[in-house]
Amino acid sequence: MLEQFGIITPQGQVLYQYNISGKRFAEVQINKFIAHLIASPGAKGAEHNGKFSIVNINSGGPTKNARGFCTMYHITKQPELYYFATYSDASLQLNDEAEEILTLALSLWDSLKLNLGIIDNLNGKGDKNEHNYVDILQGLDDAVRKFDQYLKVKYEASIKKSHVLKEKTSTESYQKKRNNDSKGSKKKIAQSNASGRKWGQNGMMEEINSKDASLLDFSAEGDEENSYSINATIEKDSFGNRTENGEFLIKEIDELLSKEKVTSQQPAKETTLDNAFGFLKKHVLGNKTITEQDLNSILEQMKQQLITKNVAPEAAAFLMDQVSKDLVGSKTAGWTSVEITAREALTKALTQVLTPGVSVDLLHEIQKKAEEKQPYVFSIVGVNGVGKSTNLSKLAFWLLQNNFKVLIVACDTFRSGAIEQLRVHVENLAQLTDESHIRGSKNKRGKSGNDHVELFEAGYGGSDLVTKIAKQAIKYAKDQDFDVVLMDTAGRRHNDATLMSPLKSFAEQANPDKIIMVGEALVGTDSVQQAKNFNNAFGKARDIDFFIVSKCDTVGQMLGTMVNMVYATDIPILFVGVGQTYTDLRTLSVNWAVNILMS
Amino acid sequence: MLNNTVLIALVFVLITSSLLLITQRHKGSRLVLNGESITKNKEPTIIIAGPSNSGKTAFYTFLTSGKLTNTVTSQKTSVAHDFKLSKANTFRLMEFPGHNKLRKQLIDTLESSNNIKGLLFMVDSTTDPKDLTEVAEFLFQILQVTERQPDGCDILLACNKCESFTSRPPAKIKDALEKEMDKIIARKRKSLDSVQNTLNGSLKKTDDADNEDDQEEKSALLDIQVAGGFKFSSLEGNVDALEGSVTKNNVDKWECWIEERLIN
Repeated sequence: MLEQFGIITPQGQVLYQYNISGKRFAEVQINKFIAHLIASPGAKGAEHNGKFSIVNINSGGPTKNARGFCTMYHITKQPELYYFATYSDASLQLNDEAEEILTLALSLWDSLKLNLGIIDNLNGKGDKNEHNYVDILQGLDDAVRKFDQYLKVKYEASIKKSHVLKEKTSTESYQKKRNNDSKGSKKKIAQSNASGRKWGQNGMMEEINSKDASLLDFSAEGDEENSYSINATIEKDSFGNRTENGEFLIKEIDELLSKEKVTSQQPAKETTLDNAFGFLKKHVLGNKTITEQDLNSILEQMKQQLITKNVAPEAAAFLMDQVSKDLVGSKTAGWTSVEITAREALTKALTQVLTPGVSVDLLHEIQKKAEEKQPYVFSIVGVNGVGKSTNLSKLAFWLLQNNFKVLIVACDTFRSGAIEQLRVHVENLAQLTDESHIRGSKNKRGKSGNDHVELFEAGYGGSDLVTKIAKQAIKYAKDQDFDVVLMDTAGRRHNDATLMSPLKSFAEQANPDKIIMVGEALVGTDSVQQAKNFNNAFGKARDIDFFIVSKCDTVGQMLGTMVNMVYATDIPILFVGVGQTYTDLRTLSVNWAVNILMS
Repeated sequence: MLNNTVLIALVFVLITSSLLLITQRHKGSRLVLNGESITKNKEPTIIIAGPSNSGKTAFYTFLTSGKLTNTVTSQKTSVAHDFKLSKANTFRLMEFPGHNKLRKQLIDTLESSNNIKGLLFMVDSTTDPKDLTEVAEFLFQILQVTERQPDGCDILLACNKCESFTSRPPAKIKDALEKEMDKIIARKRKSLDSVQNTLNGSLKKTDDADNEDDQEEKSALLDIQVAGGFKFSSLEGNVDALEGSVTKNNVDKWECWIEERLIN
């Protein structure tokens, strides 16, 4: 059973809602779906079932009782509306049902001239109220009411129909009539498992005449009909005899829908005059409705430009898709060419990709934890040689400047010299925070470093040792009142499963507050895969928290790697490394990055 | 002779097109994608902003259509041009989505309009004062832009959902926000610089004087708090806090506030 169906505007207004399961309107659910759309703009990971996209929203998150659900949705452009249907979990039957209601709603909405009405209202052509404002549904209340009535009747009828169908031993030819493609018929068969239950839960019968209530008991009728050989038309007729009112409506609806098809089959022919004017509009005048043809060459050009900036073709294609989705069907502003409009849209898309979804205030979080006498644990991962240790020490330097006590943990027990390298960093940092520090001297606890910064090491060894060190280090930090623990891990190739698999248990055991991945700006297209593989290595329950993009000073304008990494994972970039010294760590400025990518 | 007619025709075309251009500009484009319009928007504007789920869209819908409807998270800005609240002058009413990723729309508008009469910052008054950090962060982002204007921008902390049992009085929320802002400013000083400054040298082509301005202004706001902590009263624009509730139709105070701004 579907849960909700609704139509909303991107401005957050609910134009229509239908709580199929009879519960009250659950905004929370829809908000979650929208948040998902915003956070990962292309809804990556969304399956495409025929014509509509589906997103799976997993349970989890801060509230424990939240459960996962599925949303199938469709976005129309003129006017921009979101049609969606939510249901508890993805099964073939429910997907099918959702698809049906969406198709139905789309054609109904259009044939009741609601789209035209809304466009008029949005353009301010409708009657203005005392606030000099045209409400989006001004004068359309009747149409919406009709839509509501029609949709419910038709939807319930379709459920009944499929129910009756399943009761019968359906012949192949029959199915072909109802479902043009064989894929659809397979789904119908798959539905039969849950058919009995569906009846019981359907609580929306009040729309149909009360005298029809007896007809709702389809178990008997199904049997009755079993004895005949029935095809689609007969079944529809017999159905109509019994539910006069409902059938009347359905016929009306069908007529409405078929009429719409006829009228819409008249393509607008462009005359040569229009063409000439269209050229002017496209390049000079503006006010042009953008079509896909207008965009094709511009998009290709912009895509090439992005690729020269080191953006992976995959990510560039995604961005172009965003732009074309954003623009096709919309109008350019006055005196603006299509190209400028497209560039604007790309800037917007890039900004949205790079802007973090949640604000991260590390100092605040560390302070909060320090008040609870708990150390704040970072662990840093990445491919070999991207600058994990370097960026770790830069981070340590910044934290030391903010008067935090920092414990640096050598969890790279694999590469020779890794610990020694960290020791040099610790010595340097100790000297920077306290000039009287003598290099190589031990602090009062007998470790390298001084009171502010210290190295925790336990030699070299296998991967078991790593988790052990991590746990010991956190305990030590807690006992010795350290504020921050920075764990350096061994570099690993992202496509080697044996190297990646220990990460999961490491994250589970050490449970760091933040997992940081360092990626280098130099890497290019492979960064998509790197980010994806590292993020997946921590399992479903844990994600990387943010990226540091290192070596940004070496690539000039080719900042594409940033886009690639965020595109692949929806994880924000917090810092960028811009040089060799301890002070060369910066927060990312989205405007700056977008400007460079667009130049 | 031919040359003359061509010339006359050209002049005619130029004049008409420039006339058209002027009228178009005056209207201010309705689309969010308004090309590279450098001109600042001069329409008097009231802005509704604030964190997600605080009741912005509900308030906007109530103001515009007088209806109380269900709303969901916005993804795009709502705009009502030539809006009339009562007898007062017409203005542009804009309502911005609160989601983190979409704040650029708000910041851009704040930067490109120079006749903002007031900004209604919607706060959910049931929020625990301890959890106001993110709200304050958002307000800080807004102030960074509005305080750049010579007279700043008047801000109303509209404390929505006051009918709720757990709601807090506006004065308390204002105090809590003030304290949080103080902490945020302190932290901003300590945090790392943004990347644009340092790479200016190597990438001068893309960064112009604009960004340097940006930085100067930023530090200007940071300086405010030197003398004994951050205070809303030390800002250029006035900051008021009033309670209200959209769902209980209790928004008179906010409407009054908006009308006062429009008269000034």
